[in-house]
Amino acid sequence: MKHLLSKALVTSFALAAPFAPTVAQAQEVNVLMFGMPFTNGLLELTDEFEAETGITVNMDVVGQDVFESRITLSFTGGTGDIDVVHTPVIQVQKWIQAGWLQPMTDLVSEETTSDILAGPLGAYNVNGDQWALPFFAGVGLMSYRKDVLEEAGLAVPETWAELLEIAPQVQNDERAAIALRAVPGQGFNMFIFPMVMRAYGGTFFADYENGDLTPAINSPENLEALKIYVELINEYGPPGAGNFNFAEVNAAGQNGQIVFAVEGTGIISQLVDPDKSRFADVTGIALPPGGPNGRSPAIGVHGMGIPADATNVDAATQFIEWAVSAETVAKIAMAQSFPDFTTASVADNPEVIAKYAAIHPDFLATRVEALDLAIGHYRPLVPEWPTLGQAIGEAVNAAINGLMTPEEALEQAEADMRDIMGQ
Amino acid sequence: MTGQTRPRRGATYELQRGYRLMIVPALLAVGIFAIVPLAGMFGLAFSDYHLIRGTNWDFGFQNFAKMLSDKRLMNSIYVMAALSFFGVALQVIIGSAVAVGLQKITGRWRVGRILFLLPYAVPHVAVALIWLSLFTPTLSPINAFFDLFGLTVPAFLTSQWGAIFAIVMADTWTNFPFAMLIIMAALQGISPDLEEAAAIDGATRIRTFIYITLPLLAPALLMVTLFRFIDSLKHFPMIFVMTKGGPGRSTQATNFYAYVQTFQNSNVAYGAAIALMLFLMAALISYYVAKLNQRVTS
Repeated sequence: MKHLLSKALVTSFALAAPFAPTVAQAQEVNVLMFGMPFTNGLLELTDEFEAETGITVNMDVVGQDVFESRITLSFTGGTGDIDVVHTPVIQVQKWIQAGWLQPMTDLVSEETTSDILAGPLGAYNVNGDQWALPFFAGVGLMSYRKDVLEEAGLAVPETWAELLEIAPQVQNDERAAIALRAVPGQGFNMFIFPMVMRAYGGTFFADYENGDLTPAINSPENLEALKIYVELINEYGPPGAGNFNFAEVNAAGQNGQIVFAVEGTGIISQLVDPDKSRFADVTGIALPPGGPNGRSPAIGVHGMGIPADATNVDAATQFIEWAVSAETVAKIAMAQSFPDFTTASVADNPEVIAKYAAIHPDFLATRVEALDLAIGHYRPLVPEWPTLGQAIGEAVNAAINGLMTPEEALEQAEADMRDIMGQ
Repeated sequence: MTGQTRPRRGATYELQRGYRLMIVPALLAVGIFAIVPLAGMFGLAFSDYHLIRGTNWDFGFQNFAKMLSDKRLMNSIYVMAALSFFGVALQVIIGSAVAVGLQKITGRWRVGRILFLLPYAVPHVAVALIWLSLFTPTLSPINAFFDLFGLTVPAFLTSQWGAIFAIVMADTWTNFPFAMLIIMAALQGISPDLEEAAAIDGATRIRTFIYITLPLLAPALLMVTLFRFIDSLKHFPMIFVMTKGGPGRSTQATNFYAYVQTFQNSNVAYGAAIALMLFLMAALISYYVAKLNQRVTS
C-alpha cells in the first residue's frame, strides 16, 4: 500500500511536469507538419537550427490524416502543445475564423517577407494581417508533347481557344489531345477549372476584392469556360476522362496517351522526369493557356503559422524565419525533389538552377513566371471555400458527365453557393 | 437457529462471483469504445456544434428538421439503397453458391478453398484502388484485352448506373467470402442423412436443395444478409477512392455525405445527426430481422 502510494505520488509529479512553468534558458519549440519534400528536408536540418540558436526543436512530420486529427484535438482542446503548425492555404481561412491562429504581422521582419514571392505571400494575407509564411507554392502549368506538335507543324497554344482548335489535329486513335481533372472536389477539378474560368473573366463572387461576396458563378463568362472544359474532356480526352483525377492524368501522360496536360507542378515535374515518364525527353513545359481576360495559373500554397494558444511564440517566430530563409530553402532544394520554393532569391542560386535544369531546362523559370501571374485568391480565401468548392465541383462534374447541361450546372452551383453563404 | 435459511455461500457462489468479475474487462472495453462515443454522437446530433463557428449551446431537433428538407440527403439515401440492395444480394447469392459448390469438393483439393478467402483479406482501400484501375479505360488490362479484338469496353465510372455497378462489383468481390464462410459453416451443420433420406424418397437434387437445404440454411442466410446490410451502410473507401461521390452526386451514399458535411463543411453536429439516423436504421432493421429469425427457427 505504501509502495502504491509513493508510486502514485511520483507519477503525478511526472504528469504535472509539462504544466510546470518553462525555465527561461531551456527554450524549445514544438513543430507539427505533414510529409512533403520540404518538411522532410527541414526535419533533417533541425540540428543546425539548434546549434545556431540554442532552442531545442521538437518536430513531428506525420501523414496528412494524422495531422488533421492532431490539430483538431490541439486547437479545439486548447492544449497549446503546438508552436509552429503547417498551414495549407485552403485551411487557413477556417482556422482564422475559428480563432486558432495568431497574426504574424508584427512578429516577422521586413527582411524575411521581402524575399518571398508576392503571390504566395498574399495568399496568407487576410484582413490586412499576415497569418503565415509560405514555403511551398504549386502552380498550374501545361505540358505538351514536342514531337507531336513538331510533326503536325503546330505552335504551342497560348489560349484555350487555340488549344481547342488544334486538338482535333493532334488527336488520333492511339492518343487523345488532353487530360484534365474531372472528379468533384475543391482540390480536384476545382484546382484546374478556375484557370479556364478566370481566363474568360469569370469569377466566384461579384467583387471579391472589395468584399462583395454575392455569388456570381452563373455568368456568361463562366458558362463559356464550362462549355470549353466539358468539350475538351469529352471530345478530346481519353476514354473515361470524366472520372479523371491527377493520378489518372499523370498515368496518361507517362504512358504517352495524351498530348497536353494542364496540371499542378507536382504532376508536371513527374511528366518531365526521365525516371518516371517514358516520354520525358519529348515533353515540353509552358504556361497554362489564357483567354480574353489573360492567364490565371492555379496556385496551391503551403506555409507555416503560429497557433493562437502557442506557448513559445518567440522561438516559433525564429524557427519560421530560419525555415524560409534563402540558405535553408536552398539546402532543402538541393537535398530533396523540391523546386516549389517561394523564397525568391533561391531562384537565382546557380546550384539550384543547375540541379533542376538537369531535369528540365525551362522548369524553374516557367514556374516563377507562372507564380508572378498567379493571384493569391485563385480559389477564394473565404472560410466556406471547402464547402463551396465541393458543391461547385459536383456541378461541374455533373456537366462533364452529361448529367446536367452546363447551364443547369451553373444554376445549381449558384443556388448551392447562396445556401452555403447563408443568403 | 431454525426458521429462515440464509443462502449458502459455497463453492458455486465464489465461482459465480468470479465469472461476474471476468465480464468487467469486456464491459469496460464496450463501454469505452462503443457506449461513450455513441453517447457523444447522440449529444452532438442534438447540438449545433460547428467545428469553426463553435456552439451556441442550442440543443434541439434542428438538425433532424434540416434533414427532412435536405435534397442531397434524400439523394444519398437513394444511392445507399441501390448500393446496399445490389451489393448485399450479390454477395449473399455468390457467397452461398460458392459455399455449396465448394462443399462438394473432397480430398486434397479442399486446401484450395482458401483461395476464395483471399479477397476478404485485402484492405478495402487497396481493393478500391485495384478496381479503380480496372474500371479506368486508360489503365485497365480488361480494356487493353478487348481492344485487341477491336471492341471498346465502355467507361463505367462516368455514368450514373455504371459507377454504381462498378462500386457494387468491387464491394462484392471483397465481401462475398464472408457470406461464403458463414454458409459453409451452416451447411456443415446439416446432417447428410437428410439429403440421403430425400434421395431415397425420390427427390431430385434441386428439390432437395429447395425444400430441405434452404429452409435449414434460412437462419444463416438471414444473419449473413443482416451483417452485410449493416456493413453496407458504412460504405466509404470504395466511393471515396473510385468516384469521390461522382459523377455529379450519383454515388454519394449517406455515410459519404455525412463525411462531406462533417469534414468538408465542418458541420459536425449535422454529420453526427446523419450518422445517428444510420445507426437507428441499422438498429431497427436488426430488431426486425432478429424477430424474423425467431419465427423461422421455431
